[in-house]
Amino acid sequence: MSNPLALPVDVEPLITSLPLSEEGLIHYEEQFSRHYQGWSEILMENHERLQRGSYSLHWMNTDGANWGKRAKPSSRGLTYTDTNRIPAYGTLPEHAEWRNFAPRGSVREPYRERMPVLDEYVVMERDDVWADNVLTLYEEAKARQWNATRDIPWGELEPLPEDLEKATCQLCTFLTEVEFVAGDFPAKWLYRIPQDFLEVKSFLATQIMDEARHQEVFRKRAIAGGGLLHASPGFEWALKAILEAPTHTMGTFLLNLLGEGLVLSIFRSGEMIAKTFVDKEIFRRCLQDEARHVSYGVLQLKTHLDAAPDREAALEQMHRFADVGEMVILTAFTEAALVEPVAILLAGSLGKIDQGMQGLAHVWTMFIEEYFARCDRAGFDRRARSRIPLSAPWAS
Amino acid sequence: MGIVSSAVQPDMAERDTQPAAGAAKTADAGGAAGAQFPSVSWFRCLADLMNANRARQEQLGYVDCVAGFRVLDGPGGAPWACEVTFEEFEAIDVRECARGDASRANFTLEATQATWREMIESIAAGDGRPDLTHTLNYLTHPGTPMRLVADDPLEADLYFRYNQSLQEFVNASAQIATVFPIS
Repeated sequence: MSNPLALPVDVEPLITSLPLSEEGLIHYEEQFSRHYQGWSEILMENHERLQRGSYSLHWMNTDGANWGKRAKPSSRGLTYTDTNRIPAYGTLPEHAEWRNFAPRGSVREPYRERMPVLDEYVVMERDDVWADNVLTLYEEAKARQWNATRDIPWGELEPLPEDLEKATCQLCTFLTEVEFVAGDFPAKWLYRIPQDFLEVKSFLATQIMDEARHQEVFRKRAIAGGGLLHASPGFEWALKAILEAPTHTMGTFLLNLLGEGLVLSIFRSGEMIAKTFVDKEIFRRCLQDEARHVSYGVLQLKTHLDAAPDREAALEQMHRFADVGEMVILTAFTEAALVEPVAILLAGSLGKIDQGMQGLAHVWTMFIEEYFARCDRAGFDRRARSRIPLSAPWAS
Repeated sequence: MGIVSSAVQPDMAERDTQPAAGAAKTADAGGAAGAQFPSVSWFRCLADLMNANRARQEQLGYVDCVAGFRVLDGPGGAPWACEVTFEEFEAIDVRECARGDASRANFTLEATQATWREMIESIAAGDGRPDLTHTLNYLTHPGTPMRLVADDPLEADLYFRYNQSLQEFVNASAQIATVFPIS
């Protein structure tokens, strides 16, 4: 028979001047050459069968399948909760074994030996990603999506006095800078989580979409109002600390529980101090999304700690991580490029910035208490150990 | 001004009342022409208005919570509270909470009658949109003059997760000729 791997004659070779990564391409070629036998056998078998004109129809055999166990929709339609009522589909393994794309609940065992292994799938323990509210949050996230182009009454945006416009645009610059880490972090872990934890992957995908929209809406608000202003090194260090967290649970704690908890406070403050209806709407829409992420963060940490074989050891590890993470996050939240515009917006003008700082000190105290309450809810008592000042550094 | 006839509001006949400043509209939903604040019938009007506008709720997304609304100095100066159960795209239940009743609310918004009234009047004056200083978040964020009360931080977060829907729930009060007891 003819070589099934030969290129069809009408396919032209790649133009060598294309800026391809030569090293990467060589690695890719080597990798698939190394596994040549694995996939080429499948290709040859298929090719031979098709040439014979015969059908396999093995996929119609329901032995080992969960055929006929039909999911029934609820009032909202057919949710994961509905499909997961069927144990064969809804039971998540405590430890994932399938490091490929084979769907949970499908007939996959007979093919195990012939399937590739994806080395990137490394988060194999359910309790390092799971949270009991993840199904609800996923459905809610889909239902409560909004559109930063269409749902904000941009046409009503009016120019503000210069000090307030600059403060608003600086706040939006900060938010544009920080929002995408909340997309990059779940994206980084999304491809490390195997398919057996599909519900978590699905929720993380909504978080990525939420954060793309937040970055979009704040960028647009700044550019529509005056322009982007200053980036800040302090923000960058906090974002790096989140992105480089050593485990999914640790990073989720730092991003979703602490970081997004803080940003939720900023959004609430943003809605409160907004000087236009456009800004009100932006912050109100965003704070809803942020609160979902915070809720996931709280229960993911709780799940991780509750399932830890040695809870004390797990707590100590989290404390060590939080000791560093809290301080780095604090670097961002003491930056002039964040604190000062918020204070000006709180007070109503640059001339009243001192008054605004007093108001911000109140928000600080409130936020720290909310952070500790969320940690408590997760079973992680940070009150005694945290070095975050309970009062704002400028508070008398 | 939307003066409410006692024929429509029999429970109001025995009270001294005055209409909300700026309340010029009449509710269409649930057959109610208006209602006194605070009362179960006032919150039922809001629920009816929400349920009559399902298309808007479907745009905003699911709301799944029990929200408490408390007036610290309600009728006769005593606290008054009610709970609204939201499910999917609807407000499915409104009930008054008698003193001593176990609360089913995930969170409660509490404020004085004067604060509630100011908010409702601002919504009415803005034809369904409060001014910048009378949104729910504006009033609750500093912890005063309106307070968000919840035992569990995850339940408090529901207030944030559904904030736009809750804001629009109270914004619908512009369509009710709200009447307040004369203090």
